[in-house]
Amino acid sequence: MQYFIQVVVDGVATGAIYGALALAIVLVNRATGLINFAQGAMAVMSTFVAFGLIRAGVPLLLAAVVAIVFAFALGAFLERVVVRRFEGGDPDSAVVVTIGLLVLLGGISALFFGYEPQPFPSFFPLGTINIFGVFVSLRSVGTIVILLVAMVLLQVLFRSTKLGLAMRAVADNPRSSALSGLPVSRLLMVGWGLAAALGAIAGLLVAPQLFISPGMLDFALVYALAAAILGGLDSPVGAVVSAAFIGVVEGLAGAYIDFIGDDLKIAVPFAVMIFILVLRPQGLFGRKVVVRV
Amino acid sequence: MMNFQKTTRLSGAVAIAGIAALLISGCTRDAGGTGNGGGAGGGTEASPGITDDSLSLGISSPLSGPTAGPGSCTVAGLYTYLEAKNADGGFEFGDGKTRSVDLTYLDDAYDPAKAVSNFRQLVNEEVFAYVGALGTPTNAAIMPIADEEEVPQVLLITGATAFSEDQAANPWTYGLLPTYYDEGFAFGELLAGAGEPVTVATLAQNDDFGEDYLAGFEAAIEGSDVEVVGSATYEPSDTTLNPQVTELAATQADALLSAVSVTPLQVGVLTRAQSVGWLPRVFLPSNTSTPGTIIEPGAGGAYPALYSTSLTKTPVSPAVAEDEDVIAYNEAFKQYGSTITTTYTPHCVWSYIEGAILEEAFKGMEEPTRDSFMEALKSIQGFEAPLLLDGITVDTTRDDQPAIDGIELVQFNGTGYAPVESY
Repeated sequence: MQYFIQVVVDGVATGAIYGALALAIVLVNRATGLINFAQGAMAVMSTFVAFGLIRAGVPLLLAAVVAIVFAFALGAFLERVVVRRFEGGDPDSAVVVTIGLLVLLGGISALFFGYEPQPFPSFFPLGTINIFGVFVSLRSVGTIVILLVAMVLLQVLFRSTKLGLAMRAVADNPRSSALSGLPVSRLLMVGWGLAAALGAIAGLLVAPQLFISPGMLDFALVYALAAAILGGLDSPVGAVVSAAFIGVVEGLAGAYIDFIGDDLKIAVPFAVMIFILVLRPQGLFGRKVVVRV
Repeated sequence: MMNFQKTTRLSGAVAIAGIAALLISGCTRDAGGTGNGGGAGGGTEASPGITDDSLSLGISSPLSGPTAGPGSCTVAGLYTYLEAKNADGGFEFGDGKTRSVDLTYLDDAYDPAKAVSNFRQLVNEEVFAYVGALGTPTNAAIMPIADEEEVPQVLLITGATAFSEDQAANPWTYGLLPTYYDEGFAFGELLAGAGEPVTVATLAQNDDFGEDYLAGFEAAIEGSDVEVVGSATYEPSDTTLNPQVTELAATQADALLSAVSVTPLQVGVLTRAQSVGWLPRVFLPSNTSTPGTIIEPGAGGAYPALYSTSLTKTPVSPAVAEDEDVIAYNEAFKQYGSTITTTYTPHCVWSYIEGAILEEAFKGMEEPTRDSFMEALKSIQGFEAPLLLDGITVDTTRDDQPAIDGIELVQFNGTGYAPVESY
């Protein structure tokens, strides 16, 4: 039993990494209706800004704040200068554009900092808490807490603020929003900026574990996208719950199903995901899309 | 509201891109692969790439991508040795001439297809020999072509057994480093000789890299009191090994063979095992055991013992700062190698030693031909190359083993590694 709980707790901790990035993907999707493949690369680039500052002697917390501000600016800038030209068109071309950004930003990061993974300091100490024989590392606790706070804030932003309402309106129907007097252009920039800032937080949280390198989040991005889609693409809660679900299912399958073991466990959450999406195409927490004819 | 059809199309695009990303990342970190070839060599007058006063060498290694650090060092150490010697007047050859040796290096990003095209390009540009390239899958792809073209592909920086075990079948290919099998074997031997029952857990990368370690380890413990009580594997693309470590920790084994080649993951293993209350004696592979990048971030001091293997002195360690070879290496590297990379990995020293072995081969090379070079290269015995640890020598005359003979099991002593006394 103890082992079972440990596997579940580990799964949640692993899922938290994917969840942080999935939240950013959901945010962009809600703000602009797009999926941003460059989300991970933007997060890594911002984390590299913190890394450079720390190397120059700036304290960790200050460096993190600067990185988050940088990320906001980067997100807003990319939206305004690059992505803007593809919004409202075919979503497929926009997706390809963000994949291009993924490659470009990765290359820029590598230009300055190289490809070699480098250690990154953590906000949390290395210790563990032992609850009835189940070990939880303080880093995981810290990551999960920050993630939950971000999730709640996002939910509040979209559900209960004017800014959130306006952003939802713009994502839903840019033309009508503009006609109603909403500053569509600025709202889109804010949406991307917020998402990038959130991505930077994710990057800062996982860099101590993954070591910082331009490709740090490439693989995590696949899980994050899976979590975002499973959760319903427009639901922050859904993204986080799905990310935890993926982490836990992967862990349990590896631990308890012998013929799956460590070799095949990666496939299990994806198989489950396909099954769920067949039954519920809108995802676990997504709202069903109804078109009036 | 976005209509339903759009959502499905978007999801489809996401799925395809996701699969592509999986495939790409699955390919880039592959540390395994084998190859084969056949045929025999023949000699001519003067081979391409050699004149009366110069000789050109070529190498293709990963200078970008996840393996860029080791790949750059693989070029930098060799470049350092060659340039320092050129500046010192050049290399003396067995035919009585003195030549300067130049090195052309290309980036293959650890991609076998790119490595093959680089190899062909180098051969077209008439390099005399292809030397010291890093990577098992990349070198495996080149091996049959080197054989066909009769171009030496030698002193390769890889621990895979495939490049040296059948030298009659692959006469133009030759490895430099003792194999991963040997490393695993050395650790198994230590445990088998403990004089008491020992339980072991193994954690291995799911490819040739991990399998070679396990094979060597299992061969060494056969028939002994050592029992493997738990084993797990992982993919190099995994983001965390916590689940595997949790599973192995449940065995509370006395020792852990951690055949993990990815730096952040190896650090994660060290932090994780101690945080779930498991403190085994840990064996770390030679390429993920550096104190500064693995043990310190992993708080490895908590374990009763950390073992690894070593071939060479570590020039960045203050303990050997007064050593003559180390001083020479550090001075030369600062002048030449540092133009290529400044981050130290053991590959810098390995490829520097490779330079010394080449010099030794040149001395025995009586004709300006590739055949003569291969013959000279394969006749070195008992050569104490600079920076090698005492007792480890170069012996190229064994027909199923790579150039460097011997491996030393070492133990972490708080700052660096020292020879192991006993279990």
